[in-house]
Amino acid sequence: MDKLGELESQSIYIIREAYYHYKKLAVLWSIGKDSTTLVTLVRKAFFGRVPFPALHIDTSYKFPEMYRFRDEYSKKWGLELVVTRNEAALAAGMKCDKKLECCNALKTEALKQAIAEHGFEALLLGIRRDEHGIRAKERYFSPRDEKFQWNYQDQPPELWDQYKSQAEERTHIRVHPLLGWTEVDIWRYLKRENVPITELYFSRNGKRYRSIGCTTCCNPIDSDAATIDEIIEELETTNTSERAGRAQDKENVYTMQKLRALGYM
Amino acid sequence: MNRPRLMVLSIDGVPFGLLERFLAGGRMPNLAGLVEQASAGGQGGLRPMRSAQPTVSCVAWSSYMTGCNPGKHGIFGFIDRREDGYELSFPNSRMMAVEHLWEILSKAGKRVFGMNVPATYPPRPVNGVLIGGFLAPSVDKCAYPADVSGYLKQIDYQIDSDAALARKDKRAMLGNLDKTLDTRMEAMFHFLDAEPWDFFHTHIMGTDRINHFLLEKYEQGDPQFAPAFERYYRRIDEAVGRLLDRLGDDTPLLIFSDHGFCPIKQEVQLSRYLIETGWTVPATTLRHPLSIDPARSKAYCLIPGRIFVNLKGREPGGIVPLEEYQQTRLKLKEDLLQLKDPATGEPVIRKVMMREDLYWPAGSFGVDALPPEPVARAGGVFGRAADLIAIPHDGYDLKLGLAGNTVFQRTELEGMHTYHDAAMISRGVELPAGDLEILMLAQPILRQLGVEPPQDMDGVGSAVTSWEN
Repeated sequence: MDKLGELESQSIYIIREAYYHYKKLAVLWSIGKDSTTLVTLVRKAFFGRVPFPALHIDTSYKFPEMYRFRDEYSKKWGLELVVTRNEAALAAGMKCDKKLECCNALKTEALKQAIAEHGFEALLLGIRRDEHGIRAKERYFSPRDEKFQWNYQDQPPELWDQYKSQAEERTHIRVHPLLGWTEVDIWRYLKRENVPITELYFSRNGKRYRSIGCTTCCNPIDSDAATIDEIIEELETTNTSERAGRAQDKENVYTMQKLRALGYM
Repeated sequence: MNRPRLMVLSIDGVPFGLLERFLAGGRMPNLAGLVEQASAGGQGGLRPMRSAQPTVSCVAWSSYMTGCNPGKHGIFGFIDRREDGYELSFPNSRMMAVEHLWEILSKAGKRVFGMNVPATYPPRPVNGVLIGGFLAPSVDKCAYPADVSGYLKQIDYQIDSDAALARKDKRAMLGNLDKTLDTRMEAMFHFLDAEPWDFFHTHIMGTDRINHFLLEKYEQGDPQFAPAFERYYRRIDEAVGRLLDRLGDDTPLLIFSDHGFCPIKQEVQLSRYLIETGWTVPATTLRHPLSIDPARSKAYCLIPGRIFVNLKGREPGGIVPLEEYQQTRLKLKEDLLQLKDPATGEPVIRKVMMREDLYWPAGSFGVDALPPEPVARAGGVFGRAADLIAIPHDGYDLKLGLAGNTVFQRTELEGMHTYHDAAMISRGVELPAGDLEILMLAQPILRQLGVEPPQDMDGVGSAVTSWEN
């Protein structure tokens, strides 16, 4: 089997394992390339049908192209789409001038609300180890406590593909079927499977988005890659990080806040 | 009882002048006793010390712990421009280009301990324990080895007091400062007891914080906050008293600050001034303090007072040709020296230094006379230095912000750093006589512990900072 085939079958195995263990399961769909790949894998795992909800955490600040894509393909793929928003925070005027608070209210808190409302036991997430340093420590099955805290120093090992899919006294389990994929694997797979993807990723006027989220916190990169083949070629030669166009990492945001509070800026 | 072979307690931003007054006025009796004991025995005492340029904690502490000037250690401030564009990056210990004291001592087989010293996050592996300080984002991530964070969490260890809280509520800030100090001291005694360390350094950041937010109220004798200010310093003195009891009379000891402080007259948005004088053109949408339009900006600045020429071939969107580098710098210098406080007409900038007149690279020991072209194109660590460094008169705090529409303003901040009056109290450590600068401390510390300093270390002979003549 080629590499993509191996990645695909491992991810499908994990998705089915999660479906077997958890009655209340959902797949988190952010409309980006990774979670769209994940949704594609779920469809494959269950022969075209997605037997649990696709959850979209809507900050209300996403790109219009993303909303359009979501509405079109959730219908085409017959997804049970659950959209959740932290309406109270939005009504109170939350926006990204306070980035950490904003992400926390509109993403983390919104997710907590969705878990409370729907009683999800486990969530499928499209994160990958190569995205960010801290994600290298993630497991395929990763418990979170009631405060959403993740204790990465206390996790079961996952040697020889033995997964500990059950954990006690935790509010929910995060399942990461794409953990072993890289950015370029995703693009090769999207190409191989002919999966539709939002046009934000393709170059227009010399710019494209390499990573998408809220309009307020994403910047396009300089790129002429207008097709999947050109994106793959670009990724094979680049050495800047995927999230370089995203507003700074949380640690930088923390640093910035601290420096601002001390009056340096 | 375990005693370290060398104890360092650093008190961030305590000015020599203030300390002298507190000691003379009987407000810090334990420190006064220490100074008296050390000077009577000819083993040290209290003296002023120079800081680093620019005078901010991360630069000063990097110079302390590496014994090198910023042209060698590579920490020039709290923010840098990212290599690939006009975006901010935040230097941390990963960018420090040379080894620090804990590493050098570790390699010599010494057992070392460091806690809360700025610029040590993320902690590099050492033979002992290193706990990062200011700007370490969480207790979970601040320590080497990582399991130390278990103990720190257990005592509710605070990495730093909450400056955002201080802006909102200065009374709440005081409680927060006390808690931070208490848990720091609890951890200090815990680790002191753990083993007979060779080198043990604990840092207190709260003095810098209280000076930033209350110095003016203290100097004006504010009925509510002046006593609170003194009370905080007295609490530190009490902790010093307990430490002195624990160490006995003979343990070699350094208690010192990294810079001084003075009340703020004006906060100066230097980036705004560069806009008004036409050097910087802001981008159409401002997303952060470095959102400039590179195609129309000949220069830009970072905090504090670090000005970069937008040089073609070096900066990602550079427009100033190499041939114009020197004349651009000279014009910038002229404009910077023109900046006056509108309230008093006093000049704001005391001196503008070229990068090569303040810093020197690896392989050099002191500044060299260099022609401008190789200076402009210098690579490596030295090449990351600002092209010009504006040094303000005391009272004018140089800031960065493109969004504000005034150059001068006042906020909740009351104090700013000063260069010339850091404070040093020593006992039983052989420090250079006469003029003392923070980068001169590493060599004597290593020698005290019988370790030969690395060859490229500064701090002796001409390898010290000199800009005031």
